[in-house]
Amino acid sequence: MSEFGPSPLPPARVLVAKSSLDGHWRGVAVVARALREAGFEVILGGMLRPSEMASVAAAEDVDLVGINVGGRVEVVERALDEMEAAGLGDVPVFVGGTVPPQAVPRLTERGVGVFPPGSSLAAIVEEARRLTGRDSPAQRL
Amino acid sequence: MIEHQPETTSGIPLKLLYGPDDVPRDIREALGAPPGRAPYLRGAYPRMYRDRPWRIFQLSGYGNPEDMNERLKFLLFEAGETGIIIKHDRMTDDHLYDVDHPEIVERREDVGLTGTVTVGLRDYETILSDLPLDSIYAKPGGGVPQSAVYTLPSYWSVATRRGIPLEKLAGTGQSDFFLTYLGCPTKEQIPPEAAIRFNLDLIEWCSERMPRWVPVSIAGYNAADSGLSAHQELGAVMANAVQYLDMIAARGKVDVERLAHRIGGVNFRVSMEVFEDAAKLRAARKMWSDLLGQRYGITDEKARQMRIHVVTAGSAMTYQEPFNNIVRGTLMALFSVLGGTQSLGVSGYDEAMSIPSDHAHLMSIRIQQILQNEINLREIADPLGGSYYVESLTGELEQRGWEFFDRIQDRGGFLAVLDDGFLLECAEENNQRIAVGMESGERAIVGVNTHTIDDPIMEVEAFEGRSGAETWEMAMERLSDLRRTRHGRGAVEALRNLEEVCRNDSVNAIPAFMEAVSADASIGEIGSVLRETFGDWQVPISV
Repeated sequence: MSEFGPSPLPPARVLVAKSSLDGHWRGVAVVARALREAGFEVILGGMLRPSEMASVAAAEDVDLVGINVGGRVEVVERALDEMEAAGLGDVPVFVGGTVPPQAVPRLTERGVGVFPPGSSLAAIVEEARRLTGRDSPAQRL
Repeated sequence: MIEHQPETTSGIPLKLLYGPDDVPRDIREALGAPPGRAPYLRGAYPRMYRDRPWRIFQLSGYGNPEDMNERLKFLLFEAGETGIIIKHDRMTDDHLYDVDHPEIVERREDVGLTGTVTVGLRDYETILSDLPLDSIYAKPGGGVPQSAVYTLPSYWSVATRRGIPLEKLAGTGQSDFFLTYLGCPTKEQIPPEAAIRFNLDLIEWCSERMPRWVPVSIAGYNAADSGLSAHQELGAVMANAVQYLDMIAARGKVDVERLAHRIGGVNFRVSMEVFEDAAKLRAARKMWSDLLGQRYGITDEKARQMRIHVVTAGSAMTYQEPFNNIVRGTLMALFSVLGGTQSLGVSGYDEAMSIPSDHAHLMSIRIQQILQNEINLREIADPLGGSYYVESLTGELEQRGWEFFDRIQDRGGFLAVLDDGFLLECAEENNQRIAVGMESGERAIVGVNTHTIDDPIMEVEAFEGRSGAETWEMAMERLSDLRRTRHGRGAVEALRNLEEVCRNDSVNAIPAFMEAVSADASIGEIGSVLRETFGDWQVPISV
């Protein structure tokens, strides 16, 4: 295979979880399925506290964390802080859900992509591939 | 070339033109009965909105009890609402957690964002101060079965402390199964079998003491906005009713015929599939009347009357270009009324980003007031009646609704399909289909996947309430005050008694909940009793 470029990476592992306690699962289920169909290994975390977000991400050795937000941005920021404190600062994070528009810059400034309701699934999958280095066709095999 | 076959969201094929042959025979017969007569296809009341316009019934609530009280007074005394709904903080209230629970502490900034946060009965006194409880129609909260037994007794206890007898109180509970056993599962909750016992206790309690109170209200809305299609919503609502009625009959304390009317206040969703959903409301009334007549042999027409509350689909409200949602809200509201609803809540135009801002909330009221005052909508009963198209949809939904009902019954009934994941799977399948349709553009949403522009002129700010964790900090103070200043032994004893009652399902549990809240037991202490007694329900599929 090497003559055709880099050898394919194993499927990337993504933790998909909710940071808030609101329970709405429609968006999570749709995104999780799209990622799975695109070849990702999806770990569904349910509703995780910020500290759990970090401990589950570490235990599952994930390459990416997708957080569904049904609450305020401070709670997402706490999850990012917890991940950094746990030595997971290099694991990329993206979020979706009802993020107040005025709070979006607070996340994007920390390198976190924001996908509000109505975002295209193709765009979410593409971003997940980019964040996990699976964006060249060879690596996608 | 094969012509594209258009269909409704729930999958009913659409023809270009409808005619007399498209109206099923039993619908034609039902059309002959005027509004206010069984099977109520044409409306619940004889003179419909001429006697009484639909109730403007908006969800509202955030922050501390003081914030909630101020909002309720504004809505009642200034904005012109005719009933109050107290929206509770979903993290603490749905879960019955105190604000110092670890699940809450790590998310403290979220507290108060989805509704008002209470620590115990004292907060209900604040929420309800200066409100005329003997003359208003109220929905005090308790959307979720395990929280209703805290919320309703709290509201009722405030009233009795003010010397208002229970029989004077008018309002509705909810205790709906579709919300947390299907649409938005909580992190922890008692199993449906325990929850339904509380619902039956509420039904029996109210039928003995509270003639003006609807004890529980099935919320098809939650089933639909989780993903069930229109006919699935109908079938599931009927299966839920059968579950209640069969169990009440088995208990043998309350006569089913007397009870049927009290659970006939049902909540439906109207989405942007407006014709189908208006037809759904008409079909729902007929199905309800037929169910009670045929399955339970109830001949009294009044007992077979369904009254409908509609909430317009929150999921139809887009994050992008939120002002477009005012148009969507208006359309959904109009068709809710054309379907004959008795009360209506219009989702805020900022629904996809936050709970309603003051402005969004007032717009939802204004939409309804414009419909009530400016377009002669109140003068005519059932203006859609006799439309070949609408009657065809009504008949089709009824038939498909009963088929879905039969599938549920074949699987063991309503509780069984919550537990085995069948309803969740149906919802997920529909949601995937909708997502694929949006992705491909086949399902067009203006400003989202078609006619999009990138112009800040269409942007709004989301409502955020108090900054940081201020609401939580204030609630923490109230909780510590409560624990310090209450009669400690009284609370302990009331909680011990509550636990005993919970373990003994031959007694009605409501008095024990009334005693516990009156003894200043906190919401979390009551929750702990339930968690220890009943354990935790496992969500049947991983979503």
